[in-house]
Amino acid sequence: MAGWLFASPILLGFLIFFVGPLIAVAIYSLEDWNLLTQQATFIGLSNYTNALTANPDFWLVIRNSLVFSAGLVPLNMALALVLALALSRKSFGSVFFRTLFFAPVVTSAVAWAIVWRFLLQGDGGVVNQMLALVGIHGPNWLRDPNWAMVVVIVTRVIKMVGLNMILYIAALQSISDEYAEAARLDGANGWQIFWQITWPLLAPTTLVILVITTIGSFKVFDHIYLMTNGGPENGTLVLAFYIYQQAFKFFATGYASALAMIMFVLVLVLTLIQLALRRKGAL
Amino acid sequence: MNTLTRTIAAATMLAGGLLASTAYATDLRVTVWVSAKEQLDMLNGFAAGFKKTHPDVNVTFESIPAANYTQKLTLEIAGGNTPDLGWIMEDSAPTFEQAGVLMDLAPTLKNTPDYDFADFSAPAMGLWQNNGKVYAIPFSTSPFLIYYNKTLFDQARVEDPEQLAAKGEWTMDKFREVAKAIKDATGVYGFEFKDGQGYESRVMHAIMPPIRAYGGDAWVNGQCGLDTDQAVAAMTVLHDMVFKDKSIVPPGDQSDFFAGAAAMTINQISRVPTLKTANFKWGLAPLPTGPAGAAPIIGQAAIAVFASGKNAQIAADFAAYMTNKQNVATMAKFFPPARKSVLADKAFLTSNPAISAAQMQYVADGIANGKVLPSNVKSPQILAAMAPKIDAFWKADADPKQAMQAVCSVVKPLL
Repeated sequence: MAGWLFASPILLGFLIFFVGPLIAVAIYSLEDWNLLTQQATFIGLSNYTNALTANPDFWLVIRNSLVFSAGLVPLNMALALVLALALSRKSFGSVFFRTLFFAPVVTSAVAWAIVWRFLLQGDGGVVNQMLALVGIHGPNWLRDPNWAMVVVIVTRVIKMVGLNMILYIAALQSISDEYAEAARLDGANGWQIFWQITWPLLAPTTLVILVITTIGSFKVFDHIYLMTNGGPENGTLVLAFYIYQQAFKFFATGYASALAMIMFVLVLVLTLIQLALRRKGAL
Repeated sequence: MNTLTRTIAAATMLAGGLLASTAYATDLRVTVWVSAKEQLDMLNGFAAGFKKTHPDVNVTFESIPAANYTQKLTLEIAGGNTPDLGWIMEDSAPTFEQAGVLMDLAPTLKNTPDYDFADFSAPAMGLWQNNGKVYAIPFSTSPFLIYYNKTLFDQARVEDPEQLAAKGEWTMDKFREVAKAIKDATGVYGFEFKDGQGYESRVMHAIMPPIRAYGGDAWVNGQCGLDTDQAVAAMTVLHDMVFKDKSIVPPGDQSDFFAGAAAMTINQISRVPTLKTANFKWGLAPLPTGPAGAAPIIGQAAIAVFASGKNAQIAADFAAYMTNKQNVATMAKFFPPARKSVLADKAFLTSNPAISAAQMQYVADGIANGKVLPSNVKSPQILAAMAPKIDAFWKADADPKQAMQAVCSVVKPLL
């Protein structure tokens, strides 16, 4: 009893702010609910069938979300690991660079996006001016459907990579030097030490990073809203942004709730796959 | 009666009195969008004025930025935190009317002494009344004007839009010519779409002025007009100016008129206070005329009362007060009037010291002859559906005719 009482604040918060809305969204997703008129009618699974069969935008949005995740997750993790390996030893320089790479994580998303939009202007943007110095004519990054997604992914990686880097550094520092020392005595080179010792010992951390980065990549909203607003030509219209558009631009709250449930299931399935892979020892 | 009973009785009366007085005080909350502090001060003046006849009513104005205005207002309504009154922008007028959340103001206006509802011009009321019901009262009926940077025009030795307008030569062709002349002579862009958002949230503000000057329109009677010959001709001019002349601030670029990085832009007179700190000379001119003659375009905003508010009647009284003859005249320097009497009064022309009488005359002419921006019950859906097709139009190698047909292909099913 006392235990429950001690746990009650977090439990209550979890029920009110997590379980409650989750159930509510599941119910809303079965309704045709207009946010503005406040009229809701029960329509069964129509919102789901509409999304999956009738709406061509839906599959475009799913494709964009998968492309965004497939680009962001490996790039983010690889870069985080490389940075962590380079900066895990304590030295004056490493502290400086750790701070440098972590700074974007705590920078306001709005400021980050506004500055990048400025740097990435077509003519006269700083990025293109620098490219021009080496004779490259840069595209109009954020207005070109082929480049906008790439740019959105890369700027997002630069912003968030510091967080994963810190997780990897913490994991690396918890690995005892004795393993590597023993391996070196047995004649292993740096490459072998990394793949045979460091990488397997990092596996639990890698899994955590993989799961949270994947979930985070599906939830990306602010970055898209501020950088491209879903454009150009719907090139960066990802699921979370599409849900926002349906709910708060078109006031189709029931339909948006159904999309949110689909996103929930999608992320859940991806996470379960990752956990299963881990259990099989593939990760 | 012993002392204790008397004390309790006194305390009860005191508490009752306190309760009664708090029950009398009414707080009205108004959601608005203002671009300058002067405008908020002016509105707060109305709140103070209303207090003279309604001492227990406190009116507060809450400013929400334009880009998210309608969405945030909707969320307040959906969240049960409905404001008592709110500005409604022209593009979302039909959406709010059809949702049934607005109170019919007709009875209140009829019963307000000296209100003179007939004084509001019929075209200006078009969006806001239906079957004898008045859903909102336009307090700003503001034509779009060309803002120009006189310093840059002088530097490029080009006649400015006002001089050209005075000679009757301020046409779309001339507009293109001077924009290019300035870009070639000074390297500064000739024209910027409204607030630099013409490729995104202000698409209609960017494309409608030339389209109407060429005799086209967005949609009429359920038909999409954006791929007609007139509309395509107008859009071709814009396309050429962006990609051939390179005289319009291109997509993604952030050069801004108010910072001196574009020689012309399009906006309403409510933005004049922004120029107080400008380090260049500036002027205002009407929109250039096209093959279809002059086609002024009006942006409108109206004040509405939300029916669900518990003080809806007092809110309606405030709406009537805010739009009475005297207050409409006060607002005219920032928010041009829909009242014929205020418009006809010579005092209107000199109401804003920063704007010359000749320039204010362009405003008056615009109100008299202008057409409000297009609106539709499904405006948000139409604009969202258009966005990717408009993006495709704004590519250097796009064919304007085909691109505009693609726009219509997604607009038509929504009309």
